[in-house]
Order: sequence, then C-alpha cells, then structure tokens
Amino acid sequence: MTRPLILVLAAIVLLPIAVRPAIATEIWIFAIFGLGLNLLLGYTGLLSFGQSTFFGSAAYVAGWLLKHYGINVFFALGVGLGVGALSALVVGYLCVQRSGLYFIMLTFALNQLFYFVAYQWTSVTGGEDGMPGIPRPAFLGIDFSNPINYYVFVCAIFLLFLLLMKRIVESPLGKILIAIRENEIRAGAVGFHVPRFKLLAFVIGGAFSGVAGVLYAMLFGIVPLESISFVTSGNVVFATLIGGSGSLYGPLIGSVVFIWLSESMSNVWARWPLLLGVAFVIVVLFFRGGVVEAWNRLALKSPKWFPK
Amino acid sequence: MLYALMGLGLSLITGILNIPNFAHGALFAVGAYLLATVAGFLGNFWLGLLIAPIGVAFLGLIIEYAGVRRLYAAGHDYQLLFTFGLALILSEGIILVWGPVGFSHLPPPVLRGGLDLGFTFYPKYRLFVMLAAGFLVLLTWLFLEKTRYGAIMRAGIENKEMVSLLGIDIHRLFTVAFALGAYLAGIAGALTAPIRGLSPGMGVDMLGIAFVVVALGGLGNLLGAIAAGVLIGVAQAIVAAYWIEASTAVIFAVMALVLLVRPQGLFGIR
Amino acid sequence: MKALSTEQLTKSFGALTAVSGVSLAIEAGSLHSIIGPNGAGKTTLFNLLTGAFAPTSGKIFLEQKEITGTPAHRIAHLGIARSFQRTNVFPALSLLDNVWVAAFATGPSWKGLLFRNKNQYHEANERAYQALSDVGLGGKSGHLARAISHGEQRQLELAIALAAAPRVLLLDEPAAGLSPEETRRMVALVRSLKGRYTIVLIEHKMDIIMSVSDRISVMHFGRLIAEGTPAEIQRDPEVRRAYLGGIVGGVAA
Repeated sequence: MTRPLILVLAAIVLLPIAVRPAIATEIWIFAIFGLGLNLLLGYTGLLSFGQSTFFGSAAYVAGWLLKHYGINVFFALGVGLGVGALSALVVGYLCVQRSGLYFIMLTFALNQLFYFVAYQWTSVTGGEDGMPGIPRPAFLGIDFSNPINYYVFVCAIFLLFLLLMKRIVESPLGKILIAIRENEIRAGAVGFHVPRFKLLAFVIGGAFSGVAGVLYAMLFGIVPLESISFVTSGNVVFATLIGGSGSLYGPLIGSVVFIWLSESMSNVWARWPLLLGVAFVIVVLFFRGGVVEAWNRLALKSPKWFPK
Repeated sequence: MLYALMGLGLSLITGILNIPNFAHGALFAVGAYLLATVAGFLGNFWLGLLIAPIGVAFLGLIIEYAGVRRLYAAGHDYQLLFTFGLALILSEGIILVWGPVGFSHLPPPVLRGGLDLGFTFYPKYRLFVMLAAGFLVLLTWLFLEKTRYGAIMRAGIENKEMVSLLGIDIHRLFTVAFALGAYLAGIAGALTAPIRGLSPGMGVDMLGIAFVVVALGGLGNLLGAIAAGVLIGVAQAIVAAYWIEASTAVIFAVMALVLLVRPQGLFGIR
Repeated sequence: MKALSTEQLTKSFGALTAVSGVSLAIEAGSLHSIIGPNGAGKTTLFNLLTGAFAPTSGKIFLEQKEITGTPAHRIAHLGIARSFQRTNVFPALSLLDNVWVAAFATGPSWKGLLFRNKNQYHEANERAYQALSDVGLGGKSGHLARAISHGEQRQLELAIALAAAPRVLLLDEPAAGLSPEETRRMVALVRSLKGRYTIVLIEHKMDIIMSVSDRISVMHFGRLIAEGTPAEIQRDPEVRRAYLGGIVGGVAA
C-alpha cells in the first residue's frame, strides 16, 4: 500500500476524535464530491461550476425514494449514482461542445435551471424549506442512525470511490484526459474524439457527485435547497482548489480544510459566507496553488518549521 | 431589454478581459440597493438613478484595479474563485447593511399607475424602463461603433495583442471596460428596483440570466446580447402568463433548447 | 500505387481561397515534398488532408478509399499521422506518455480504458518506446515535455506522429526554428524514415528538400504550379518566377 493511502486511513481513524462525528462524516462525503470534480477540473482542465446539479438531483430523487418507498441504503446509493451520471450526461452533452468561458457559464446556467425547478416544485422538493425526513434505514441489522456506524459506512464508501478514482486516473483514460487538458488539438489529431472523452469525464464526475449527494441527504436527514444551488458548486470548486487540483489526494485535503473552516466560521457568525468570500479572495491573491504549494513555499523560507 | 443591458455589460467584461465575472450579479444588486438608499435619502428618484450606477462603476473600477488586474495570467479557475468570493462579500455585505429581508421601492410619482394603450393596460414605469434600457443599449452601441475608444474596445475583443502592439495602454482599456460593464449592471439594477423590489438574492438570479444572454449571444457581441435578451424576455413573459412558477426556469430551458439546435449559440461566433 | 491523392481540392475562408483546385498524387513509399512561399496554402493543405478543416470542394483519397470530410480524430485511425509546424506536444506529460497516448489511440484495443493500469498495454508501450528511440529520445523517456530543449521538442513532435504507426506521415516543417547542427540531425532522421513510410514533407530549407525528396510539388497562391523531380523543379522557369529570386535563387547563388 502506498504512503498517501496509509495517511488517509490514519485520518479516517483520527478525525472523529478531533471533530464531531457528523462533521467528520461530512468531510468524507465532501471528499467524494471533490474527487468527482477533480477529474474534470484537475485532470481534464474543465472548470465545471455546476456540480451541485448532480449532487442535488441525486439527493432529491434518492431522498424521495428513501422517504416514500423505504428503499435500502445501497439501492439509494445506486440511484444516486445513476441520477448523478444521467443528469451529468444531459448537462454535459450541452456543455462540452463549447469551451473556455462559455463552458463555465453554461454549467452555471444549467445549474440555475435545476435550482429553479427544485425551488418551485415545492410539492416534491419542499422548495426553500428543503425535503425533510430522510431516513437512514438499517441494513442487515446494522443501525445506521447511530452516528459512528454511519461514519464507518461513509468511510467505507469513500475508500471504495477513492480506489475507484485511483484506478481511473491510472488507466489510459486518466492519461488521455490529461492529454486533452494539455493540448486539445493534438489529442484530437492523434485520434481521440475529444468531446466524447470530456463527456465521459463529466458523467463519471456526475456519478461521484450523485453518491456524495445521497450520503449527504442521509447524514442530515434532509435535502436542503442549498444542496442544488450554485453555492454548493462554488464550495466544491474552492475545496478542490485549496487542496490543489491535479493530484488525486488534493480534494481530500481541501475537503478537510474547507468543511472544518466553514463549520467553525458558521458557529462564530451567521454572516460567515462573507468570511468565506474574503477567504476566497485572499487565497486567490496570495496562495494560488493550494495548500500543497503554500507548504512548499514556506518550506523554502524556513525549512526548519515546515519540513518537506 | 433589461436582460440585454445586463448581458451587454457582462459580455463586455468577459469579452475584453477574458474572465468569468461571477460578481456581475452582485454589482446589479448593489446598483439596486444604492438607488433605494440614495433616492430615499435625497427624496429624488432621478438623482438616485444618476448616482447609483456611477457608484457601482466606481466599485468596478476598484475591483479591477486592486484584484482582477493581478489575475490575468492566472487560470479561469482562480479568476472564477476570486469573482465568486467578491460576489459572496458583496451580497453578504448587502445583508449586513440593509438586512436580510427584502423590501420594495416605489417608482417616482410621475411614473406610477398605468397607461391605457387601448388594447391593454400597461404600468407606466415598466414602459419607462423599456425605453430607458433601449436608450442605454443604443448609447452603448453608438459608443462602441462610432467613437475611437469604442473601436479600440471592439478591437480588444478580437485581438488583444494587436491592441497592445498599437501602443494602447491595455490595462487602462481593461479598467474602463470593467467599469463600463459594472455601470451597465448597476443601472440595470437601479432600474429594476421599483419593479421587482430589493432582496439579497436578486443578484444571483440575474447573474444566471446574464450568462444565458452571453452564452446565446456570443462574447462581446452586441447584437447577439440584444437578440438573446429579447428572446428570453419574451419567452419568459409568455410562460409567465400561463404558468407563473416556471417563469424563471424557462429562461434556462430556452437556452438549453437553443444550444441543442445550435451549439455555437445564436450567431455562432467562436 | 498511390498512397494519398486529391482531386480538385479547394478551401475558401470567406473571400480568401487558401487552397485552390489542387490535384495531387503521392506515390506509396515515396518522399514527396511540398514547397512554396509563405502563405501559399501548404499548411492549409495539410489541415484538409488530416480532417482539421473540411474542404469547400474536391475530394481526398487514401489509397482507393475516399476520406473527404472524415473528422480529424478518425483520420489518425485510418493511418495518416502528422507533425505540426508549431511544436504541439503535451507539456506536462513525460516524453513517454506523450507518445504513449498516440500509440494507445491507434492501438488494437481500448479494452479496459477505464480501469486497467496503463502499463498493461504491451503493444502501445512497445510502440511508444520504439517511436522515442527512432527519433533519438529513448534515453529521456521520463523527462517532462516542457523541460526539454526546442530541438528535442521538434524530435518529440515527430515521435508522436510515428507512434501512431501510420501508413502516411505528413511532416510540417520539422526543422522549423532549429540550429544548423539540430537541422543536420533532423535531416538524417527524416532520411532514416524514408522508405518505411510514405512521407509528405513541407519544408522551407531548400537544401533539405533537394537532397531528400523523390518528388516535389510547388504551391503558389493556393495553386499547384509545378511538379517533378528535384532536378526538374530547379530548372522550371515558372517556379523561379514565383520565387522571384527567393529561396531557389539563394540555392542557385
């Protein structure tokens, strides 16, 4: 086993000691979400600002089924995966045909479409109040309403998806996506149908988002309207960037930092998004390249305090 | 027409500076709130309409000068994060200053009530907004097409290297473009305030619409922005008459439909 | 036998006709050069042959099969590979990965695309190593493409095209921007590929053209104005007129 993987396992064990189980759980859920985005942002070079479309859609659909039809947790995850992938297929089909700024704006605009549908379709989604009462049904006698049990469950799913993503980025697809990021024209010239590969990355990213969305809904017992809003899309972009996009483990670091940060800020002040905005601006102006690079830069200045 | 105005401002900023401006909606909201405050304070709507957008343009000036300027070499991801951060700061700032609950702002006395057009009864203020927005779009068009600086700006959309080779201060051009875009957003916000009232979320709602206008009309494409703005405005009005709940979602649905048929947008540039 | 041929191939961009009624036949196994002043339409011709642009009119044949209008990403699978005039590599990938993606793209099978480790594709790996060592970069396979010299990037440019195991190789100014020493090496490299592939070469440096080509076609303002062996081309009065004492004059002097 590789060293980063051992570190991840250690973090999984230690995290619930440091923070409340719910927060620890949320961190790994958000990490799955970040893994999905990173395939697009870090590997393919596609900046999607609409990831909450898939996160939220999956949460609503699976939440509805959990609530009204009492499906089991694995079926719910499967539904989330499917809904995430399918919505990403539809949205992605429209977006991959354009590039650069258009691509970013389209992902955002389509995110807004889904948001407004969720906002207005109150009979199903609960509109602004969200969709409450999502159960965490027991499976094979394991009671998931116990926070620690649920934490273990989420961690198992997270590890599964981390390994899955590891395989994907080490597969030919991973290399092809990087090649597309590096030089789209040449990637086409050597024989890859670039839009189709972008779409594939989009669908995989959507599936990851969907799984995260369902786990999130079960964690808090509710699908808040915010889970399909642009704020969530922005948060996952931010988390991935502060962790350092382009490396497999970047989104994990980002997720830990981001969830912990936003959790502590929201306890201090109701207007914490203001602080979040300030944090975005500061990071962009002074710490581009994320935690990993900031560490390296500090290591250059004072190696004693910041070992490499 | 308001949509066209919004889209036009965003189109200028994205087209010339080549950044995704997620703060554009927040600038729109600031315009609206400034109008309410200034007009309330001075007791004069017209002065408010004059001053508020200038305030927003000034804000745009500062944003470009202090922040955006340093990010031209950074990727779109960081530019996006920056403008998104600004949007959060501005919209939370609005809540801090004006409170989280929305309120309405009355149009000036002259423009209250409606006008009998024979076949239908139309609110005077809406008519005014339509004319004013149309006038502003025309003015922007005249500026871009008929003045020297406008020509430079259009050239900036086409080819930035060329412009700087001609010995034009490209940084100043960027600043002016950002301020002008911000001004258009601000005045669109100010004009909207008496129609839809003010709420902290108004900026984001408008941002999505502005993106649609640009995605359909093309970056830096004036006619495209107008055509797209009118198209979605009309589509929205029609749907709103029958199914009010869907009137916002329809904007995005129209965009998706157009892109399905014409992936390159209405005018197919780039 | 003709490996690649065109019939009345034309491409217009609005009012400008970049390639006009070009009928060309490339003999299989030959090295066929295309020369002409800047803006004569040579690179546009390559873009048409590789599907980067669709022609306005005319036809393209690969052996007997018409391939007009085939998109770029399909062309590679049919056996045409190109190098670019401006270095067009994948900067953040290692040299090996640069050629590997090209080898994989045209490889026998994409099975396991999503989950198999990329080291398990033996044919693609072999071809990638072969292409790198063919251009003399075998010892640097682990270096990043952005970290090597311009001359080496030109070699890599060529290796990416070779890795696709093409039948027809289109080389767009492989010696562009190279020093005299690097140019000599590149010429030796192109010569070593002669016979193994059908090669279409665009080049400005006349000494290279004259020494390696089997046949030469001359383009001027989008049209073919002459075709023949190097010796014939050197004597052709119309070619001399087109160049007006340009590069051909330089060689004569």
